[in-house]
Amino acid sequence: MIATYIRVEFARHFRDGYNLVFALLLPAAMYFLFGNIPSYTDAEVGSGNVKFYLMVSMAAYGAAVSTVAIAGTVATETMQGWGRQIALTRMTPASFVTSKMIVAATVAAASAALVFALGAGTGARVTDGWMWVVSYLIILAGAMIFACYGIGVGMLFKSESALGLASGLMVFFAFFGNVFMPLEGGMLDAARFTPMFGYVALARYPMLHSIPAGGDMAPDPLWIPVTSVVAWAIIFALFAVFATRKAKARQ
Amino acid sequence: METLNRTEAVSLTGLRKTFTTPRTKVEAVRGVDLSIQAGQIVALLGPNGAGKTTTVDMILGLTQPSSGSVEVLGLSPHRAVTSGRVSAVLQTGGLLRDMTVRETITVIATMHGQAGRVTQVMDRTGLTAIAKRRVGKCSGGEQQRIKFALALLPDPDVLILDEPTAGMDVMARRDFWENMRSEASSGRTIIFATHYLEEAQNFAERTVLMSHGRIVADGATEELRKLISGRTVSATLPTEQAISQAEAFDASVSIAERNGQRISFKCADSDRFAQTLLTDLGAWDLEISAPSLEDAFIQLTEDAQ
Repeated sequence: MIATYIRVEFARHFRDGYNLVFALLLPAAMYFLFGNIPSYTDAEVGSGNVKFYLMVSMAAYGAAVSTVAIAGTVATETMQGWGRQIALTRMTPASFVTSKMIVAATVAAASAALVFALGAGTGARVTDGWMWVVSYLIILAGAMIFACYGIGVGMLFKSESALGLASGLMVFFAFFGNVFMPLEGGMLDAARFTPMFGYVALARYPMLHSIPAGGDMAPDPLWIPVTSVVAWAIIFALFAVFATRKAKARQ
Repeated sequence: METLNRTEAVSLTGLRKTFTTPRTKVEAVRGVDLSIQAGQIVALLGPNGAGKTTTVDMILGLTQPSSGSVEVLGLSPHRAVTSGRVSAVLQTGGLLRDMTVRETITVIATMHGQAGRVTQVMDRTGLTAIAKRRVGKCSGGEQQRIKFALALLPDPDVLILDEPTAGMDVMARRDFWENMRSEASSGRTIIFATHYLEEAQNFAERTVLMSHGRIVADGATEELRKLISGRTVSATLPTEQAISQAEAFDASVSIAERNGQRISFKCADSDRFAQTLLTDLGAWDLEISAPSLEDAFIQLTEDAQ
């Protein structure tokens, strides 16, 4: 039951060129642009080079944004009456959400894989192979936090354009989450409280953990990004539940 | 014909639904008792806002009643829906614009566990020719046909249609009912909500009239038709004497509205009455009109109180 639905979902999203560009091509293009500036990208940082650092950042951004976009359609589709149509079948709302999550996770995985493949092809490197795997898995798992954010916004505003805004806001979160360019001083202190900070810090941790505390580009102690990720996971989950209840009550 | 041991397709008891928002409280359904036998074709007739859609939603388990109970084929709405024994054409939404027609049908068929019926149902509802078209590019009538196909997928015993012909032109509407007739002859129970008196008359053996969340009349469609079959005859009459003579024409005649010498009469036999008015009483500017559905509702609602 779920398999057929997922297959059709993919067909839909891939027919819609817009989603495809944002989910797959944009992060890849951004890595390609910023990751290949010869003046600094081959410089060493932690256990790898700047290219690897940028690759992880762009992959994390791309995975999170595509998750928001796809998970958010759960909400807009439910509100458009598709939820009523599904309610007249054997499929439970839970498996509807599950199949959407599988689609979102798959697109996020493809998006991050594309950036990682580009990175591997253009000289991103780290000392140990396991860092590729661990960073990639952290990106995938962490991206799912933003699914709740997408569902919440969709349920609250019930429109496609709100979902576009939610994706747009992710750019802001990314800038303020230390994803695109390294922040310093007060900005960095404030950044620690924004949703993408912990996520991307955790994804970079494997390559940066070897830098001694106090050194240039040294990562925060592990508990800071972990706390950030857990806290935002809880906040977004509660937000999704709250928005869903509110939307159901108005029906 | 009806026998006592026919099973009940739908049974509603003391059904109420109140929607509460912080500012307002809307009583959409205010105490509905209804029992529909298996195999019947029933029209749920009423103006917009009568509570038809809310009632249908409660039969389908899409909305929880504030009080009262719903049974469909002796089961709870949820069980009846998940077992595929009841299905519906919903009034609003229900389709995703960027799916193709075949994708939509296939997806819902799989959710019913009826993937094998896709081709058959598409052929029967005439969708095979537009299988690859996106739903958003289909006309209103075609979208209604897609919804109808979705409702047929589980091969239901009870089929509920909420304003099934909304957005269809005259031709599409006729084709739709043509199609429904063949579905009905296969023994399904069909309940449809409509605000077209004509559709109830042409298609339903029984009509349930709803107004302001209550049932105001319920009976064989033929009887209902008689109930609202009177005519309104309006004419301008020359004298007071002529007016009282007209009023005394027969027992069915009564004055509905008076505006100086211009009088609107209600009567049963409008042809004979009109003739008398014109030839014997010197009336002019004569108009005969059938009561609109709204008129019938006003009358029936007043009668019910």
